[in-house]
Amino acid sequence: MTGLNGTPHERRAVLLAAVILLQAVTAAFFVADVVADLAIDGALDDVHMWLEAVAAVALVGGIVFLMIELRRVLARMATLETVSQAARGDMAEVIDAFFTDWHLTPSERDVALMVLKGIDNDDIARIRGTAPGTVRAQCTAIYTKAGVESRAQLFSVFMEELLSGENEPPHPAG
Amino acid sequence: MTEAGISGAAAKPPQAATVRVWDPLVRLVHWSLALAIVLNATVVEDESLMHEVIGYAAVGLVLVRLLWGLIGTEHARFRAFPPNPVAAIRYLASHLSGRHQSHLSHNPAGALMAYNLWATVIGMGITGYMMGTVRFFGYDWVEELHEGLFTWLLISIGLHLAGVVLDTLVTRRPLVPAMFHGKKPKVKER
Repeated sequence: MTGLNGTPHERRAVLLAAVILLQAVTAAFFVADVVADLAIDGALDDVHMWLEAVAAVALVGGIVFLMIELRRVLARMATLETVSQAARGDMAEVIDAFFTDWHLTPSERDVALMVLKGIDNDDIARIRGTAPGTVRAQCTAIYTKAGVESRAQLFSVFMEELLSGENEPPHPAG
Repeated sequence: MTEAGISGAAAKPPQAATVRVWDPLVRLVHWSLALAIVLNATVVEDESLMHEVIGYAAVGLVLVRLLWGLIGTEHARFRAFPPNPVAAIRYLASHLSGRHQSHLSHNPAGALMAYNLWATVIGMGITGYMMGTVRFFGYDWVEELHEGLFTWLLISIGLHLAGVVLDTLVTRRPLVPAMFHGKKPKVKER
């Protein structure tokens, strides 16, 4: 496993996964043992059986809890990757992913990118050789697909992505 | 601002971008299960306590993986690779015609194989357990079923390895390293 020489998050994820496996194998033996006891003795006395049942449930519950924790660590790793990608100047890739997500058409992509670069509608129309009305219509379509209502809100979508690292600072830009 | 400068950012040159596919739990389960099967099939004495312990551990590993298929990460979940024999056959046929698709999670044929392997291991665990119980002790069919499942497991593993080799050759994408470091090259997913 390469996680051992990766980031602290990766190491933590691998460790968590290993603990989950160990605990699960232990739980499997415990439950199997309880079942075997029941098969031999017919029925155990109530207190004993209840204790073992509670222990089994607790073990399995602990496994589920650890799994959810592992999922959180992994999700956090993915977020951090996006953030540091953006900080490294790979913002274009992040933007591209959003555009794909929104199902923008190729011309809408062009327009949206120019909007993000701060070019106003008239200039976009000139560059693309279309009527300003077309650009306005394309902008409206872009906003609708992105679920925003204005140019400023469109920017905020990407700002959010940059700031979503929560309290962990992104890697310093190279 | 020139047009070239604008479109330059959108059409980035292709690079070796990767995407995390197999999380640590998936990888640990995979290799631990492989190790358990190899140990029990080769060096560990049949009918020894060790054989039983490893067998139950293997079942535990599969159960973890099944639970992870319900609540795990995106590519590890069952809904990322639903069991679909029709899609599996279509996928295999697409290899012949050379129009293969890429799948981030298991491809349809690989998905069926994964379910088959897990079911077989669980079946071996159940029959193995039955052999040790008073109730089924001495029944030949239990032992025969256990051994039949083992033969099926060996065949399945052979097909699994053949599938991995075939897929790597046809798609020319590294499949095996992904099960070590968890990352696959980024491709347009179908």
